[in-house]
Amino acid sequence: MIITTVFSIIITMNGYSLEHLITAVVAGQNDRAVSIAEVLLKNGTSPESLIQDGLTVALRSLDAKCTAEEFNLLEIMLAGRAMMTVMDNVIATHLLSSSTIEPVPEKTIIIGTIKGDIHELGKNVVKMMLKAQGLRVIDIGKDASPESFVKAAMLESARFIGVSSLITLTMPFIREIRPLLNDTGLDNVKILAGGAAIQQASPSDLNVDFVAQDVFDAVHYLNGLTS
Amino acid sequence: MTSYERVLNTIEGKGIDRVSAAPEIFGLSARINGYTIKQYVTDAQTLALCQIKSQQVFGCDIVFAFADTALEAEAVGCRLYYPDNAYPYIVDHIIKTSKDIDKLKIPDPFRDGRMPLVVEACRSMHNELKDDCVVTACVPGPISLAAQLSGLETFMFLIADDLDSVEKILNFSEDVIMRYAEALLKSGAHSIMLFDPVASPAVVPPSVFKDLEAPRLKRMTDALRAMGSKFLWLSIAGATQKILPLFSGIGIDLATVDYVVPISDAIRLTEGVIINGNIKPLSFVTAQPDEIKQIAINCLNEAKGRFILGSGCEMPLESKPENIGALIDAAVSSPL
Repeated sequence: MIITTVFSIIITMNGYSLEHLITAVVAGQNDRAVSIAEVLLKNGTSPESLIQDGLTVALRSLDAKCTAEEFNLLEIMLAGRAMMTVMDNVIATHLLSSSTIEPVPEKTIIIGTIKGDIHELGKNVVKMMLKAQGLRVIDIGKDASPESFVKAAMLESARFIGVSSLITLTMPFIREIRPLLNDTGLDNVKILAGGAAIQQASPSDLNVDFVAQDVFDAVHYLNGLTS
Repeated sequence: MTSYERVLNTIEGKGIDRVSAAPEIFGLSARINGYTIKQYVTDAQTLALCQIKSQQVFGCDIVFAFADTALEAEAVGCRLYYPDNAYPYIVDHIIKTSKDIDKLKIPDPFRDGRMPLVVEACRSMHNELKDDCVVTACVPGPISLAAQLSGLETFMFLIADDLDSVEKILNFSEDVIMRYAEALLKSGAHSIMLFDPVASPAVVPPSVFKDLEAPRLKRMTDALRAMGSKFLWLSIAGATQKILPLFSGIGIDLATVDYVVPISDAIRLTEGVIINGNIKPLSFVTAQPDEIKQIAINCLNEAKGRFILGSGCEMPLESKPENIGALIDAAVSSPL
């Protein structure tokens, strides 16, 4: 009985594939995703393949699942946590010298919750997803002034600014970012905005380049510009 | 026909002279009347005065006994920050670990935090408006209060990692809300609105609403009706199509739907529930009055009865007052 159980565990461990990793991440199974990733690495799967053929595919699968009526934050958060745990606890230790995670200015984004708002959950979810996409994400926190977005973009040579807000009261502050960027000579920096209330607005209402309806909308927009 | 009769007749399916209009005007009433949000949420008489004046100016059919979404959490022990002209928000959550749950105490609505001020405002509004206009008191749903007590991110991960603790927090939240709602009903509220943003399918899967929230809401609506609430109102933003069919079973009479839910879908998916909504809140900031009136008329044409015209969610604080007038005008001037 014990021998049979041990034998079946070995078979299962050896039988892990990237498909198992994808399934575990999409289901938000944090511990299981880490265990599978560790086994896959041990069995010869490269860290790059874990990202490209595992985590990125999981993200795409989640994206396809999340239509306007099916999207829910909890599932995204759990999958995002599983992705980040695999990235931080498994892959990062094997990729320290790899160029695939070197900071690239063209793939750097400053994100934050704009002045007048302290809701961070949406911003944090976007942060997880963008990191999983290989972007370098600089988080300037909550209640962040328009000036602090611009200053961070300058210091980090970022090509993108992501502004989050859950309330409409912050709209005047969001509108200030573009002229501040222009004054600083950062005309080429793209601004995207998102969040429950401001997603009702148009880009011109907010003086930004793009208004994302959800996290994947933001990912698509950025992928279109960075690929 | 008084506003009270119009709303109650709508709920009961009786004859009405026109469609009722009940946009969710909360802190906006303070701005319109020259008060700061801080004054509005910290002074009972200011809150009551702003609601009554707004009702008198615009002719809305319902006034609201409600300060802000952090009030109940503050009464339990969360620490808030009060900006001058925006709603207060939580800076320190009372539940940091699961060990904190058993130490929580149910607040006394007549003594703790700012609950007494809303209770007093509720009494003042009823004394002034008598039974001519509906006074609706707003309280959170259990899952929304639970998320306030522990912080939304923490609470979301608890749902996945520690369901026992989630159940405990939800049970505690239900007790807090029921005790507060009872005090509000005793102080003159005609009805209770349960606002439950965290229960939205945009935040948690419909299965979480069905398994964790719906049974509690059912228990609560039964008890609130027995306490004298003339009707029960549930307000959940986002794409609620997946949970709307559950509403009649949990004892809801009136449901607010957001702009992302077509009114025809809401009516089709609910049985015996009156729909309230569903103009995009930002429109009240950006659109012109004639546009708002036309959007409202379109809503009325789509609804064809079983409907109370509203804003789909809270009206933004920077809404144009003339857009409230346009909304009410649509209700007054449209044939039944």
